[in-house]
This record gives sequence, structure tokens and C-alpha cells, in this order.
Amino acid sequence: MDESSSFGTVTVNLVREREGERRTEPYAYVLRAEGERPMALDVLLQAQATTMPDLAFRFGCRARNCGVCTIDVNGRPRIACRARVKESDTLSPMATLPALSDLVVRRDGIARQLMGRLAGGAGANELNREAPDDYHALTACIECYACLHECPMHQRNLDATPPPDPGNGYPWGNPFSLLKLQRLRLDPVSAPQARAAALETAKTLGLDACRDCPGCKCGVGIDLKGLVVKPLVEAAWGPAGDANQESGDGD
Amino acid sequence: MTIETEWRDVDVLVVGSGAAGSQAALAAAEPGGRVLLISKDPIAASDTKISGGAATVRQSGDDSDSVEALSENIRIAGADLAVKSITDAFAEDSRGAYDRFRAQGLRPGIDTERNGPKPRPLPFGGHTKRRTVGHANRGVAFSHAGWNVIVQGGGEGRIDYLEDAWLLDLVTQPDRERGGDAKLLAGALVYHAAGGRLVAMRSPSVVIASGGLSTLYFPKTDTMRGNTGDGYAAAARAGAELVDMEQLQFLPFCLTSPPSYEGLMSGEPVIASFLGVLRDAKGKMILDGVRLRSRAECAAAIMRAVEAGRGTPDGGAYLDLTANAKGERAGPYFMRFLTETNLPAYTNVRQAHGRKVADCEQPWEVRPAAHYLMGGIRTDAFGASVGGEGDGEAGLGIAGLFAAGQAMGGVFGADRLGSTSLTEGAVFGARAGTGAVRHARQSSASPSDDAFQAAIGAWSSRFGQAGNRRAAPLRSRLQQESWTNIGPVRTEAKSDAMEALIAGWRQQLDAIEIPPHVLWNQDFIEFVELTNMLDVAQATALAARERDGSVGSHVRLDRPDISILARPYSTVVARSDDGGWSVRRVAREKTPLGTVVAARLQKAKRLMQARMLRWLPGGLRDRALERRYRAVMG
Repeated sequence: MDESSSFGTVTVNLVREREGERRTEPYAYVLRAEGERPMALDVLLQAQATTMPDLAFRFGCRARNCGVCTIDVNGRPRIACRARVKESDTLSPMATLPALSDLVVRRDGIARQLMGRLAGGAGANELNREAPDDYHALTACIECYACLHECPMHQRNLDATPPPDPGNGYPWGNPFSLLKLQRLRLDPVSAPQARAAALETAKTLGLDACRDCPGCKCGVGIDLKGLVVKPLVEAAWGPAGDANQESGDGD
Repeated sequence: MTIETEWRDVDVLVVGSGAAGSQAALAAAEPGGRVLLISKDPIAASDTKISGGAATVRQSGDDSDSVEALSENIRIAGADLAVKSITDAFAEDSRGAYDRFRAQGLRPGIDTERNGPKPRPLPFGGHTKRRTVGHANRGVAFSHAGWNVIVQGGGEGRIDYLEDAWLLDLVTQPDRERGGDAKLLAGALVYHAAGGRLVAMRSPSVVIASGGLSTLYFPKTDTMRGNTGDGYAAAARAGAELVDMEQLQFLPFCLTSPPSYEGLMSGEPVIASFLGVLRDAKGKMILDGVRLRSRAECAAAIMRAVEAGRGTPDGGAYLDLTANAKGERAGPYFMRFLTETNLPAYTNVRQAHGRKVADCEQPWEVRPAAHYLMGGIRTDAFGASVGGEGDGEAGLGIAGLFAAGQAMGGVFGADRLGSTSLTEGAVFGARAGTGAVRHARQSSASPSDDAFQAAIGAWSSRFGQAGNRRAAPLRSRLQQESWTNIGPVRTEAKSDAMEALIAGWRQQLDAIEIPPHVLWNQDFIEFVELTNMLDVAQATALAARERDGSVGSHVRLDRPDISILARPYSTVVARSDDGGWSVRRVAREKTPLGTVVAARLQKAKRLMQARMLRWLPGGLRDRALERRYRAVMG
């Protein structure tokens, strides 16, 4: 690696988890080109190919499309393939989901909470309808789960005792699940009962937590507050300020 | 600690959660089948998600489009290596299969006059009709539809799924009905990394929909990391045949630097527009009429220049689009065309090389990267494993084994037209799922637990394996050698060299250290994938040697091109139970010579027209191009 090392190194702290034990190991990333500004994923790949062959992390497409490689960089969720890192940054598993091994977290509790709850009622003859722009805006979601960060609804899962089994799906929701439900409500092909059921599911998942929340942050820039949370909250309890107007569930 | 084995019983096990896997699960669940779908990545995080999101839908453009026309387009592009009954099935089902995505929430733009999905204004290269439908958010929109299928459970809750689950091996038992060496599927053994256990799936039918093998190479495109050939390798180890394994599509125009972007796409041949050409390191033109060329032609031109020592510093060539951008009148149209045609690819270029290059003031340095395997598990038009001569017979395959999507071979042959992969996934996913549930119901033999014991013993003993080697560094080495020896340019000597390397690495497998912990054991995962990559590398090396001439995506430097007069054949690779590999040829049906010659003449004519346009004086050319852009872009 003589020629490569002439470009210098960037040392990053890797938080590693193995069988419940956590430790932090520094890794000196060897720059591969003059002025290279490596992504977090570059660091993980090089570490695994050299001195940490058992380093566990998820990744997929390297191009911000698959949503698989999300980790925390200095405590905030970032898509690793497009997150530039600098000297003494810390890479750790997403704090919002249980760590399985090193930077790999268990993700399946999120999607499983919607199993069987997404009936749309589309008929084959009604398909030729143009969807509204907001519908397409929500379809940009790559399921990176960055939106779980500081989500008060998802926090209920983390605070619950005993902790819920992700294999059964988390009882409390999150912005991603709300996005899936709101998408069903915006779909011109959905049956009216399906739209009503989607709103009820959102309430069951703890939509009330969104009423006092300043808003969530999307990993790929979807306006979650404006396009997902606000329409659902308003559908459930009326426009902001009229909190008592439609409060049918005693909350 | 020893790893525990959980037993599960299902009618149909589906491996993979992209377009093909989700549609297979749905089709198997609809008539009441109990389906379990497994995915090593999170569900729906597949190549479907990174695809261009354009689907081939027959007759979406005009009613004159026919099953025959679409089927023939695919076979001519694939140099008659594709199986006619399979391309006919693709053409026949493309509309219905596309509507299955729409029923799950995929929403295209609507042509109100025709009351149907709106196709793109120009046919994609090789398609003679307008039949490509694009979508907002591209493949991500398709993967939402597939995700909905899996999570909603096929509407009736008959689909369950397990993610973080690696297919280790298919399990077979002797087929008493057919006798002899015939095999019947008993199920599969799976490692559930998030649960820290093995799962023995007793399942009379298995649909392999686990994608391709691009991770065998570096550089590769933005295809998912998980493309380690797991489905092909497991099928081959179970005794299934693999077809056309030498036909791997390389995308020609991918980034050479910076390191984080290496291999990511810069654009399709069509972005070269009217004046784009390829040049070598010294500026000499190596390919003109680029927009009219196939991905395979462009990749071959670049790699032949590199092999001849005329490559760019990073081992590629220059895609010179500067003439397009210079025209005072036509230039702005071109830049709009360039950015609109494939924005994510254009964004890659801009992020990697900055505005000057992205604005086409300078040529783009490009190189091919591994993308999509046209070959795969040998099946019939219903995705059922086949054996025998010619197009094969299901009666001679492994009973209960099905494949769909990229995992399946015989659909495209030597080259793949744009916008076909998502349609392929839907068409053959649905067909395989239907066939799989039917087989499960008709099958009278019950899976024998004994058949699983050898696989359980072999794989569980790997946990805690002592050794002085690690799998991850070996994988990097394998990727480099695969690029050199069985990559975009091949020779007999390169195939031989690859086989020798593979034999050496196989001997090291027992010396790879794997710690004993069972929960998400990264070393075990690397070991499993390395084993699979060695198997598919072996199959590719054998097929690449057997195909002793260049055709489609397979380039042999030591042999001439295969003539269009030659009788077409496919390569078939198989592994016997004692671990020996073999390769043979099976005959394919030839498209009438007149049709092939007419297609060639048409292309030659268009290339000549492109040249004449390039030779026009500057001002005249600028005006002519402006008119053309206006006609197609408005």
C-alpha cells in the first residue's frame, strides 16, 4: 500500500457490538486518491477488506437508492454511502433499533407492524387513474429509517417494559409506517373503507404522539411533516388549534 | 455454542424479495398456497429498487404491437440464444404482469385517449415499437408495490416472510416416481442471521428469485451487494443445470473515479445523442454512432482498446459528447435531453467530476462495470427446472425447483433490451409462483427429514471452524481475478487460469476462521457467499471457454465473432454430486436469416445517416439537429 498511503489517512472511530458487548475501535482509512473525501461506507469496506475482516455492516447499492446502509455518524442517522466522514468521526449502529452485530441493527420490527394492514381494495378495472403529485412524492421513500431518530411515537417501543419482540412487529409506529398509510389514503384507486382503515391504523400505532411533535426528518428529503403527519393528524382531530373538534377517541 | 435448527413446513418457499420474488409469492398465495418468502437483505431492497423503473408493456404505444413483434425483438437482440417459448411468454404476459404491479400501488402517467399507461415518446434501442412505460421515482416505485405484496400477505395473510435469511442449500431426495437419478425437492436449509439459528424448510416447491452475480466482479454498477450468485450456486449444487453463464451484461459507461463512485453509471448509449463518439487515450475514435449501439458493442469497444494498451489512465475510454453541447442552437436541447434521459446517472457524473465535465466541455472518462446476468438457472416458460437437449423438458429437471427474474436463464440470451428486467420479474415470477403451488399440491411424496441431515451437519459444523484465513480478503481477490479472467474480455487461457485459481481457493475453504457465535455471524455470511461466488465463477469460466467466439456480451479476444450464418446454441453447465463440473451445448431455434439480415441492414443504414450528419458543416448541422430535437422533445 506504499503508493496509496502517500495520500494520507483519516482515522474514524468504529463502535462494534458483539454478543451484547460494545467497544470502540479506531480505524485509519488509507486515502486512495489525492484529496479524496471518503464516505462512511468507504471506510467500512476498506476496514473489512484489511484489518477487520469480521466487521459487520449492511450495505447495498452504494448510490443512495436501496436504503440499507443507514448508520449513525456522530449520533445522527446518515446513509453511509453518501455521508462524508472526517478525522475522529464516530460511526455507530442506529440508536433507534436493536444492534445485532457491530453496525448491523435488527430492522424487521418496523415493516412487520403493518402486516395485513394495507388492504387497498383496488379493482383491476379502475387502474387507469392519474395519482396526485403528493402520492409520487411519498413513493420516493427508500426505507432508510433515518426518520426514527427522535420520533416520540417510536420512542414508546424503546421505553416499553418488557421490550417488544421485533419479530411480532413493534406496537408503536414511526414516520415510515405513517407514510405507507398516508400513501394508501392518497391513492386514487383505494376504496373509501381502505382509506378509513388506514387512518384507524395510524391512530392505533400512536398518531397522538405527533400532535405535540415539532416534526420528523427524512433521510432523502421528503416533507414528512407536511405530506404525511399533518394530513393524518388533521384527518383524525381536525385542523391544528381545533384539537377538541373531532376528538372521538377520548385522547 | 452449537447453532440450533428450527423446522418449518410450507407449500412454497420463495428466495428473494424483488419484482420476481414478490410476484411469485403472490401468485402462489392467491390459490391458497402457504408461502414463506426469505431475503438476506431487508425485504424489497433488491435490484428492482435500483432499476430504471421502466417497464416493457406490449401495445401500450399502439395496437399494431404484437406478441410476435416483441418476442422477435428480444430474440434478435439476444442473437437467438433465448428460448422462443420463453420470449413468447414474456410478450404474451407483459401487459397482465404489469397490471399486477399497478394493483399493488404502482401508478404510471395515464394516456387518457388510449385509457392506459403512457409510454415514452421514442422506442428504446432494439424495440421496434413504443412500449416502454416510465415511472416517477423509478425502481423505488416498483419496490413499494412489491413490498406491499409481501407485507400485506397476498391479501389473505398467506405470505409470511423472513429477512436477514441466507439460503445455504437446496435439499433434494430421490424421486421414486421417475426413478433413476431423478431428484425431487425436499426443501431448503436457511441461516436466519437475526434469529441466530438455522431453519430447515420442508417445502415441496422452491422458487429461486434471488437475482444475479454482479458482486463476483469489481467494478460493478449500483446493483445490490447481495448479488453473490447464491441462487445459481445452490441450484447447481442440487444438480440443476445453468444456461448461458458466459452472457453477463456489462454497462459500458460507468465512472472510473473517485473511489466511492467507481462503477456507478454515467449513462446509457442513447445519451451520446446524434454526435457522441468513443475515443481512446490518444483521442482516436474507436466507436461512432454510439447512440445506435447496444450496451455490449460499447463495452467491447472500450475493453478492446484497453487490452491493446490504448486505455485511459483509469482503464477505460473517453465518451466524447462535446460536439453535441457545442452547437449554438442544438446544444441547449442536447443538455436538456442528457439530464432528462437519466437524471441519477447524470447526477453521478456531476458529483464525481464537477460541472465542467457534466456540462460536456470535456469528454467523460468511462469504463464498463458488471451489471446483469442474461444466463441463469435453466427452466421452461413456467420457470420449472429442465434438463435434456434443445429447449429442455421439465420431466428431466429437478421436480419442485423453479426460478424467476434474473435468476432464470433463457429469456434474453446474448444481450438484453432496455426496460425488460422488471417485466421479466413480474411475468416469470407469477408463472413460477403458479407452477410452484400447483406442484406442491400434486406432489404425493413427503419431504424426508433425513435428506436435510447432511446439509445441517455440514453447515452447522462451520460455526467455530478454526483456521488462519478470513473470507472477506479472499472475496476481494476473487473479484479482481474474475474481472481479469472472466470479465468483459476473455480467452481460453484466461478461463484456464481462472479455473486453476478457483481450485486453489476451494482448498483454502476449510482453513477459513469462523467464530462460534450464532447471532449475525459476519464471517459465516462471508464464507457462505464466497462459496457461492466460487461456484458461479467456475460455471462462468467453463461457459466462457466453451463459447469459442464473440457473441453479444461475450467477447473472446482469441477467436473471431460468431457468424450470423452459424447455427445458434446455448452453453449448459452442470455439477455432478461428486463435485465435478461439465459443460455442453444445446441447439437453439434460428430466426429466419432474412429477418436478421433486414435488421442488420436497417442498423447499417442508420449508422451511415449518423455519419453523414457528423460530416455536415457546423452551421448547417446545428440547424438540422435543432429541428430533430424539436421534433422529438417539443
